[in-house]
Amino acid sequence: MKNVVLISASPKMAEQSLSKYLLEILEGMVNSPSLKKNTIDVRKSISHHTTDEDFTILSQADALVIAFPLYFFCLPGILTRFLEDYLNFMKKHEIQSKPMKVYTIVNCGFPEPGINLEAARVIQSFSHHIHAYFRFAIMIGGGGMLLEAKDAPFLKKTWRNLNDAFAKILQDIQSDTFDDIENICISVKFPRRLYFMMGNHNWKSLAKQNGLKKKDLYFTPYQ
Amino acid sequence: MKATIITDKEYSSETFQKLQVSIVTFLKTKGFETEFINIGRDDLTYCMGCFGCWIQKPGECVMNDLMTKINQEYMNSATVIYLCPVIFGQFSANIKNAIDRSLPNMLPFFETRQDGSTMHPPRYISYPKLIMIGYGDNLSEEDRQLFTDINKKHRSHIEVLFYQNTENYIRDAFSDIKLEKVGGHL
Repeated sequence: MKNVVLISASPKMAEQSLSKYLLEILEGMVNSPSLKKNTIDVRKSISHHTTDEDFTILSQADALVIAFPLYFFCLPGILTRFLEDYLNFMKKHEIQSKPMKVYTIVNCGFPEPGINLEAARVIQSFSHHIHAYFRFAIMIGGGGMLLEAKDAPFLKKTWRNLNDAFAKILQDIQSDTFDDIENICISVKFPRRLYFMMGNHNWKSLAKQNGLKKKDLYFTPYQ
Repeated sequence: MKATIITDKEYSSETFQKLQVSIVTFLKTKGFETEFINIGRDDLTYCMGCFGCWIQKPGECVMNDLMTKINQEYMNSATVIYLCPVIFGQFSANIKNAIDRSLPNMLPFFETRQDGSTMHPPRYISYPKLIMIGYGDNLSEEDRQLFTDINKKHRSHIEVLFYQNTENYIRDAFSDIKLEKVGGHL
């Protein structure tokens, strides 16, 4: 029996999060009797002060999947806190890590998936520091659109690619080999110019709903 | 001229103390007024990805804590120097929180850079010169390279240094850096 821990690390409070949604899909695919699954929500773990219990679960994992959105070209602060504290927890309790396999799913609102690479490398570095094995990353561009238009026909191929990538994670978890696997880039096939136009219009529309005018978006309070 | 120095209270090691003294001494000789902001574990709320700083209260975070002061000082300094503990090749959690919550200083829209990648345009005409000084014991070459890539690959107008405890390190490292405001584009 292999113990799989899925970590959802979106900083969002109540709003829908792509990271969480993707992990729910992956969780639904973990149905082999040889796999046991646990999920950890980083925001809940920190705000409910249950990190020590969650760190114990994490220390017993055979495989770890961390899903998060890109923040300033790397990890969100809340996930950084969780992983930093986990390393300190391991040192404090003198925990010897199992030969754990680590995967990550990083999504970004920008269309190009490659921008997530440094964030994936941070997870690789984390794996190295806890003596685990980083396997590969699924790097997603145009993430905002995946939830907004998830049933749209033009996203069918993207969702199929995501499902294939998740299947690859599960296959690798159940394998006893450690052959190198390349990171997987997944993007939304949508005209870039139109994506920008829709995104930019969306910000103005949301601001309007809050009683703001277009010019208010450009307010410069500190200079 | 004003310089803001942002530090992490949780990593006040001996290396940090030496680095801090060197920076203050150097900035004084250059005639800077210095503002220190030392961030502790409970000083900043985590960014919650609400985008209120773009669509509710443009230019300001909707959560009122130490970050209000940090953003105010940041935008009114000629240079901002982060003394960064390097953890997993990235910033420590306290420093990363401060960086995440500087999002109000950018505009929400998408733009294409000269290299074809995407960026958010600047909210202001000018920004402080940013300097990241990484420190830590026994930093691996991989973590140093990653820290450099995170900071420099997608942004211009930013300098990355790694503190070395040698005489005149700061003076020498800063010798080619202009400590003055720069244009806004990343």
